[in-house]
Amino acid sequence: MGKDAARAEWDNPMQFVLACVSYAVGLGNVWRFPYLCQMHGGGGFLIPYMLMLVLLGVPLFYMELAIGQKMRLGSIGAWRAISPYLGGVGLASVVTSMYLCLYYNVINAWSFWYLFHSFQSVLPWAECPVNSNLTGHVEECERATPTQYFFYRETLDISGSIEENGGIHMGQALCLLLAWIIVYLFIVKGVKSTGKVVYFTATFPYLVLIIYLIRGVTLHGAINGVKYMFTPKMEQLANPTTWINAATQVFFSLGLGFGSLIAFASYNQYNNNFEKQAIVVSMVNSSTSIFASIVTFSIYGFKATFNYESCLERVRLLLLNTFDLAEDTISLENVNHWIAELNRTQPEQFASLGGRLETCDLEAELDTAVEGTGLAFIVYSEAIKNMPVSQLWSVLYFIMLLLLGMGSMLGNVIAVITPLSDLKFISHYMSTKTLNGLVCLFCLLLGLGFTTRSGNYWFTMFNDYGATFSLLFIVLIEVITVCYIYGIKRFEKDVKDMLGHRLNWYWKIMLAGVSPILLIALFIFYIVNYIQGGTPTYQAWNKELGKSVVTEYPPYAQAFIGLLLASSVCCIPLTALYTYCKKRNLASGKRERTVSTVSA
Amino acid sequence: MLYRPKADTIRRRWQNNSHICFFTKPESNLCWVKCTKRIACNKQLHDLQHGQEGMLVWVLFLLCQGVAPALTQDLCQRDAPNGYKVRISLKTALGEDAYEWNQSEMFFFRATMAFAMRRHFQMETYNVDNIILCVQTSRVSFWFVVTSPDNATMLIPKADVEKAVRMARHRINNAFLLSDRTLEFLGIHPTLAAPVNPDTPPWLIVFGVVIGAVCAGIIALLVSSLLQKRRKEKGMTEDGQDEEDMQVKGVENGINLDGTYNRGFTDDDRFTKL
Repeated sequence: MGKDAARAEWDNPMQFVLACVSYAVGLGNVWRFPYLCQMHGGGGFLIPYMLMLVLLGVPLFYMELAIGQKMRLGSIGAWRAISPYLGGVGLASVVTSMYLCLYYNVINAWSFWYLFHSFQSVLPWAECPVNSNLTGHVEECERATPTQYFFYRETLDISGSIEENGGIHMGQALCLLLAWIIVYLFIVKGVKSTGKVVYFTATFPYLVLIIYLIRGVTLHGAINGVKYMFTPKMEQLANPTTWINAATQVFFSLGLGFGSLIAFASYNQYNNNFEKQAIVVSMVNSSTSIFASIVTFSIYGFKATFNYESCLERVRLLLLNTFDLAEDTISLENVNHWIAELNRTQPEQFASLGGRLETCDLEAELDTAVEGTGLAFIVYSEAIKNMPVSQLWSVLYFIMLLLLGMGSMLGNVIAVITPLSDLKFISHYMSTKTLNGLVCLFCLLLGLGFTTRSGNYWFTMFNDYGATFSLLFIVLIEVITVCYIYGIKRFEKDVKDMLGHRLNWYWKIMLAGVSPILLIALFIFYIVNYIQGGTPTYQAWNKELGKSVVTEYPPYAQAFIGLLLASSVCCIPLTALYTYCKKRNLASGKRERTVSTVSA
Repeated sequence: MLYRPKADTIRRRWQNNSHICFFTKPESNLCWVKCTKRIACNKQLHDLQHGQEGMLVWVLFLLCQGVAPALTQDLCQRDAPNGYKVRISLKTALGEDAYEWNQSEMFFFRATMAFAMRRHFQMETYNVDNIILCVQTSRVSFWFVVTSPDNATMLIPKADVEKAVRMARHRINNAFLLSDRTLEFLGIHPTLAAPVNPDTPPWLIVFGVVIGAVCAGIIALLVSSLLQKRRKEKGMTEDGQDEEDMQVKGVENGINLDGTYNRGFTDDDRFTKL
């Protein structure tokens, strides 16, 4: 076909696979999967995860790749081609990707900030800064921990609630600018430049993960964490939340519904064997999740053991100082024995210790499960500062986070740019480079809102609501459209045309039957959860207490959440309505013309 | 400092302000004379022996048992209002190389404190005898008070002692191979090191380097593609389906901008019929 004979293409299929891997393997593999593993029974979580991958993840991934490769257009054009009434699905994908672009790069900005601050002799989050009259440390830092203080005060300069706005944090704004400039550099020439970049962004994180694995398992106490993670607690399998979380993790980890996969596949050769590639990418993504969890848990184990031993040391010192015993009488091993002993022999003096005596519990330290930005920037940096040569490990770690984030960012931006550049009226007026530059500039300017003092709260709002519910809806409509409106028979014919062999029964059953049912179940669960949850809340940082407190969103913020959800979901019915009206006008216009010629 | 009197001195009680001295016969329990300086004590004894004080009172030696211990605690005691508690953690600081804390070390400490007092007040009269230690424990902790060089019964106020210690803290730490954390004066907080504030924060330097490199990369890419376009425009004569040609004409994203697409030659069945 003359129209798309000159469409840009990947230099070889490997670039496509690496682009998909780079997109799918992102920060969620590092900070969400280990958390879920810990919450839902350690090694036992792998069972629902693998099952959901086979039933839900791989078939939907396959479907998106097939659509992109067949239609050779971005998501708007592709869905319009499949069914003009449901062209809104593509538009909804673009809107959701746009939201993701806006806030996702802020994480990269934070990674840059931490990376640049690692080039110091003492890591700035290792110690509390001294106060102005040099008598002690800053109080906010004393109440919280140095790593929390560095994240909330020096990185974000966070305000007390979402209502209190403040100025833009210049350091953050500069890092965000840098992040967007790098994204532009990667996509400036379209797939030609992206194809070269993904060789690096897809493979280097694995190198860093391997280095970290070796460092992690050799740390003191790492084995406690790994053992804790892999001990399966099978009773968690009876909990429905486990299965729901497994399904959502598979779903979001593969990046379905954003339109990125369709965009990537649209640059493929027509006869590319995407079936094998879909399976390969899904497997690589899952194994990376498991690999990253081993690394995370060895670091957790190290941190928990370190904190436990520090706690024991503090108790030992307290006992030595209160009872004036010689230094070598109490050692770390017999602290608990001595507590009992001293309580028995000198009860009054022991009672005077009061609340200062802490209980040290390794299990409790391991139980503190954290996910998301808190894990990546607070917990991990706390663990890193205690490692020997911490600057090197810090630099490596944040470079890895950057690569993972940049790789996913590429997919997000391409999901927005490809459909836009397919639209004739845009491509007529400007070249790819200008379009790419404008999109990056637009996202940068809007993204500056996330660098203000209350920016982190808006970030959390976008993260929790911007892409979760709408994606489920989009993918549900996608599956129903492809299987029932477009028809599974026509889909089969297209696939046979591209691949040369018929659709396997596995794909047919999953796509037409199992996946839609699972998606509907997930969708219903989300709605029920949302209704039952009451007013949506967020964690606000309280500087007097030195910790986060649960706060309700103010009414205008709740309205904004509703707007976020509605804006992407409504694209589908609105476009259908618009197409219907347009066709009706066109049809009635034709009828009028035929009538007039006859009469004339 | 405690001074042990000679064996058969007279049983006397001599009261001077808050200072009480007792002596007994050698057969019974000996009491100790509480004196701050050997010279002063000898003088007191001499005066006692020669009956030159007007306020000597005879007393029963029974009182010795009860009052004498309290006597010795008088100036230096636990929770003394003008005293400080010192805590030393030798094993934490030095591990295997830790030296033993014995009487010589205690003497060294007193000498160091006397030095600190001399340094602060710039009076050469402070001496080892002005520093009184008591309440030693096996933790290695003890209390100390500082008496005035002019008047052995008067204690130097807490605030002055604190100033002296603060000034000489570094020297005191180094004398014992310890640090602020392992040689603690309870109540005197160590002055924290002033933060080093460089003119340009180091992160800005790294940031500048990275953003410079990235901008240079973008400019290089844009300029090279611009040059390529100009070169092709100048040297282009043949028309063809050259891929580079297509790129030059701006068909990177697959849309041919040169002509209108003729729909007559497509088959429409990939578009769903309405």
